Amino acid sequence: MTFEIENVSKTFVSGDSGEEVIALKDINLTIETGKFVSFVGPSGCGKTTMLRIIEGFENPTEGTVKDDGEIVTEPSSERGFIFQNYSLYPWLNVIDNVIFGLDINGKPEKESRKRAMEYLKTVGLEDFAKRYPHELSGGMKQRVAIIRSIISDSKSLLMDESFSALDIQTKHKLQKQIYKICQEKNKTIIFVTHDIDEAVFLSDEIVVFSRRPGSIKRIFEIKLEHPRDRDNQEFKDLVSEISKEIAEFDDE
Amino acid sequence: MKRFRNEYTREMLIVPIILIIIWYFICDVFQLVPSFMFPGPTDVVNSFVKLVVSGKLFKDIFDTIYKVLFGMLLASTVGITFGIILGWSERLETLCKLIISILRPIPPIAWIPFSIIWFGIGIGPAVFIIFMGCVFPILISTIDGVHRTDPVLIEAAQSFGASNSQILTEVILPSSVPYIVSGLKVAMGIALMCTISGEMIGSSSGIGYMILTSTSLFDTGSTVVGMLVIGVIGVIFDYIFTKVQERIFW
Repeated sequence: MTFEIENVSKTFVSGDSGEEVIALKDINLTIETGKFVSFVGPSGCGKTTMLRIIEGFENPTEGTVKDDGEIVTEPSSERGFIFQNYSLYPWLNVIDNVIFGLDINGKPEKESRKRAMEYLKTVGLEDFAKRYPHELSGGMKQRVAIIRSIISDSKSLLMDESFSALDIQTKHKLQKQIYKICQEKNKTIIFVTHDIDEAVFLSDEIVVFSRRPGSIKRIFEIKLEHPRDRDNQEFKDLVSEISKEIAEFDDE
Repeated sequence: MKRFRNEYTREMLIVPIILIIIWYFICDVFQLVPSFMFPGPTDVVNSFVKLVVSGKLFKDIFDTIYKVLFGMLLASTVGITFGIILGWSERLETLCKLIISILRPIPPIAWIPFSIIWFGIGIGPAVFIIFMGCVFPILISTIDGVHRTDPVLIEAAQSFGASNSQILTEVILPSSVPYIVSGLKVAMGIALMCTISGEMIGSSSGIGYMILTSTSLFDTGSTVVGMLVIGVIGVIFDYIFTKVQERIFW
C-alpha cells in the first residue's frame, strides 16, 4: 500500500472575514502501489486540496496522510508533482529544466544530461533540448514537465489537471504516453481532472468528490482492458454514469 | 498608452541638430546673450577641444565613472543581498519596513554634510552619496522581484526535494533578475545625479568639480561641456541596460 489517507479534514480561514471554510471533511482512502487513481468532482469540491495535502504542500487540519507508512508533513522527492500550468523555469532551456530535480539532488550532471536526452527522445523533443520554454507550445511544455518529474524516479506522481490546458489531440497523445511510462515504471499515479473521459481512459479507480464539505461520494473501479477504446459502449456508459454523479451538484 | 520608447534611431538626431542651429544663431551670430550668461556652440566646441587636448576631460570622465561604478557596486551588493533576505522573510521585512520607509525619501544630497565629516575630501563622500541614493531602489525592486516569484515554481522545486537555500539560489534569485536589473537601471540614473552633486561639494575631481570651478572662472563653455558629457554618459548607461534587459526574456 502506498497512500493511506485517514480521517483527513481541512479548514481554511478566510483572510478578510475570518470565516471558516471546510474544504475537506473526513476523507478516508487507500491507494495501492502501481494504481492509477483519478479524483473527479465539481469545482470547489476540494480534490486539488486533497492532492496538495498528499504531496505535503499543505497540512490537514485533522487526520493524516501516510506514504508507505510515513506521515507526510512536507513535499518530498518521493512524490513527483505535475502542475496545470507546466511550471517550467523560464530562464532554463529544455534540457536544464528536465535535469532540474536531478541537479537539486546532486546527481552527476553528465549522466543526467545523457538520461535527459533519452527521455526527450521518448516524447519526440530531442531537437528542442536547447530551446527555452517560451519557444514551445503548451503540449511541448507539458511533456517537458512530465519527463522532468518522471526522470527523478519518484515512486508516485501527483498530477493536478495537468492536461486541462491542452487541445484534444495533444491531450490524447499525452494520455497514452503517461499511461505507458507509468506502466513501465510501476508508478502510483493520482490524477485530478475535470475531464471524465480522461479519467475513464486512464484510471484503475475513479474517486468522485462531492461539494460542501468536500468528501468522497463514490468510488468507481474501472476494469476495462488497456488500451481503452473511447467508442466502446461500456466506456461511454461509464462516462455518462460518472458525469451524472457529478452533475447533481451543478444544479445548486 | 505606449511607454517611453527606449530604442535609438538616426531620426532622433533631427531635433538636437535643429536646436543647435537655433542656439548658434542666438548666441554666436546675433550675440543676443553674452557668453558669461550662456556660451554659444563655438565657445563650447573651443572648450571641448581645449579639455580634450589637455587630457583633463578624460581624466574627469574616468574619475566620475569610477565613483559611479564603485558606489553602484556597494549599493547592489547591499541592496540585492538584503532584498533577497527581506523578500524571503516576511517577519524581517515587517521589522525593517518602517526604517526603510523613513530613510528612503531622504534626498541623497542631504547626506552631504555627514559624508564630508565621515569621509573628508576625495572620492569617499561621492561614493557614499551614490550608495545612499542607489541602495533603496535596488533593495525595493529586489524585494518586489522575490515577492513576484511564481509560487508554483517554488512548489515545483520543493517537490524535487529542494532545500530552502536551493530554492533561494535556484528559483527565487533567477526569477528576480528582471526586477533587479530594472532597479539597477533606475539606480544608475540616480547615481549620476548623486555623483555630480557629491563632486560639487566634497570633492576635488570629476565632472561635477569641473562644472563648478569652470563657472567660477567664467569659462561657461567648459560648464556646458561638463553638462553634456553627463547627459551622454547617462544615455550610454541607459543603452547598455536596455540591451541587457532585452536579453532577459523571462
